Amino acid sequence: MFRWKKLGKVFDPQDLKTGSWMHEFAQSPSTLIGEDHVRVYFCSRPAPGPDGQYLSYISFIDLERDNLLNIRRVCEQPVLSLGKYGTFDEFGTYPVSVIRDRGEIRAYYAGWTRCESVPFNAAIGLATSRDGGETFRRLGDGPVLSYSPDEPFLLGSPRIRKFGERWHLWYVAGKEWLRTDGKPEPVYKIRSASSDDGVNWLKHGKDLIADKLGPHECQACPDVSYRNGQYHMFFSYRDIRNYKSREGGYRIGYASSPDMIDWKRNDDLVDIGLSETGWDSEMVNYPHVFEVDGATYMLYQGNGMGRAGFGLAVLDSSEEWGLA
Amino acid sequence: MRWRKLGKIFDPTEHALPSRCVEFAQSPQALVLEDRVRVYFSTRERDCVGKFVSHVAFADFERDMRSLIGVSTEPVMVPGGLGCFDEHGIFPINVLRDGDRVLAYTTGWNRKISVSADASIGLAISHDDGLTFQRHGAGPLLSASLKEPFLVADAFVARHGGVYHMWYIFGTKWQKFTETEPPDRVYKIAHATSPDGVNWKRDGRQIIGDRLDADECQALPTVIALNGVYHMYFCYRHAYGFRQDSSRAYRLGYASSTDLENWVRDDSSAGIDVSADGWDARMQCYPHVFECDGKVYLLYNGNEFGRHGFGLAVLEA
Repeated sequence: MFRWKKLGKVFDPQDLKTGSWMHEFAQSPSTLIGEDHVRVYFCSRPAPGPDGQYLSYISFIDLERDNLLNIRRVCEQPVLSLGKYGTFDEFGTYPVSVIRDRGEIRAYYAGWTRCESVPFNAAIGLATSRDGGETFRRLGDGPVLSYSPDEPFLLGSPRIRKFGERWHLWYVAGKEWLRTDGKPEPVYKIRSASSDDGVNWLKHGKDLIADKLGPHECQACPDVSYRNGQYHMFFSYRDIRNYKSREGGYRIGYASSPDMIDWKRNDDLVDIGLSETGWDSEMVNYPHVFEVDGATYMLYQGNGMGRAGFGLAVLDSSEEWGLA
Repeated sequence: MRWRKLGKIFDPTEHALPSRCVEFAQSPQALVLEDRVRVYFSTRERDCVGKFVSHVAFADFERDMRSLIGVSTEPVMVPGGLGCFDEHGIFPINVLRDGDRVLAYTTGWNRKISVSADASIGLAISHDDGLTFQRHGAGPLLSASLKEPFLVADAFVARHGGVYHMWYIFGTKWQKFTETEPPDRVYKIAHATSPDGVNWKRDGRQIIGDRLDADECQALPTVIALNGVYHMYFCYRHAYGFRQDSSRAYRLGYASSTDLENWVRDDSSAGIDVSADGWDARMQCYPHVFECDGKVYLLYNGNEFGRHGFGLAVLEA
């Protein structure tokens, strides 16, 4: 059993004492380990527009490496502008996953556009930074991973990894839009692609994680680590209905694989539950697992899909990696 | 190249069309069958919100193209699914005989909020000589990519030397050219190759030079090999004002190549232009060149993007 001990909330923009472009939400945390700090990229939102709709931007905070609950710096402005008129990421960049590669930092993110019959669509974009992650620039105006015959819409939730010289991207792909309670709701599943350069991708064309809640289960945030000869994935899943509540909200699942293609799901191995009260009492989801100074941590978002910020947990013991 | 115009050969208002369509017969494209030439086109219905949806239909002609045999009575393809790339219509459709089957490269449209719509290229396959087509997946074959950010459309596919070649267009920008009008788009012709017609490698560049200016819109390439030279027809127009102002509207462009890589544009050699008056006097667009029984034909649309039907020309020299 992966037993996670909660250390508390790390960041919620609503707690900021000084003014910020961030109004609400701190979603999909993703880390880069620095010499004396841990930088956490995440996605946040200014106040909604007159139409009540939100735009989502990529942001970061720096945590003290010696005390990860201590925030040293809050990013002053979004690190990436939104896409041009009519492009795939015109209306938002969320979630984000970052990786350091030689002299640059790459951010893979889902870009959002708005549609007429369904509310939105998404595709995966790539932006790079050459100034240590302060600002990012797109490689092109279009997405780096887009729709294909068996992935017709909603490519999102990217998680980037590099094992050896090979790039790996885990993401979700939409399967169908269903009219539930009169409103179109998407079903999406975890998939993967690999690449020699992180730009040109070979999709593996396979749903990786068996459904637990039936064919309408929605899966997201496939966060993969390699330990003890096995690949370990922590991810989020929920039912298609009633997902904004405590009962139906995203939970954290777990699967392991010897080869990154065949995955064995075993959610019973994750032990991180809802708190009795407070910011993570309704939801614990969007896990990001990272290792620093000999300890394994999980950043995760809480209630309201991260509207209430994200927090930190530490793995109580490490024997699980071998037992899974 | 010198073409002799044979006039308008199909008027959609004279026929009962499937899917409640009443006007438009756009982008005619031919499939030569044993006993007839089947000409696919896109026609339109008004949907429940009052907007147009394009549907694929066809008209069958005798092989000499002199008389119409019949018009499709059933939809050729079912509509695209909720949220899919072709949910709001297919226009145009390009067909290619491939052994026992017929491949259709479709351009699917879906409506958006900030800009009116986006498009991607899909594949559908027929096993009944093109009466009906089934989608190869609910998603597109070619859609937006890093350097082709939207409006990937107008595929024309042909086999040359065992390789499948696709000419298509991609959008380069959406721009507001006037204060009062909604934004207009700019798109250019590109090329891709494939060993199987399904997996494509794109060149990632504009292959036909601009004649008007950098905002020239280029559409619907069609390519035919004659006497060792590849001839491309396409249509081009100004980026805005092209609906009202005939001088800014679509005209037919022409380019030639000997290696399928490098194209020399020379519209003055197109050998066809708008008429002094009549159905193709204000506009010429959506060309499609094909060969049948030793003759080379050019199908195309005229005024109002094919609202009133399509016409035919035959190559004289």
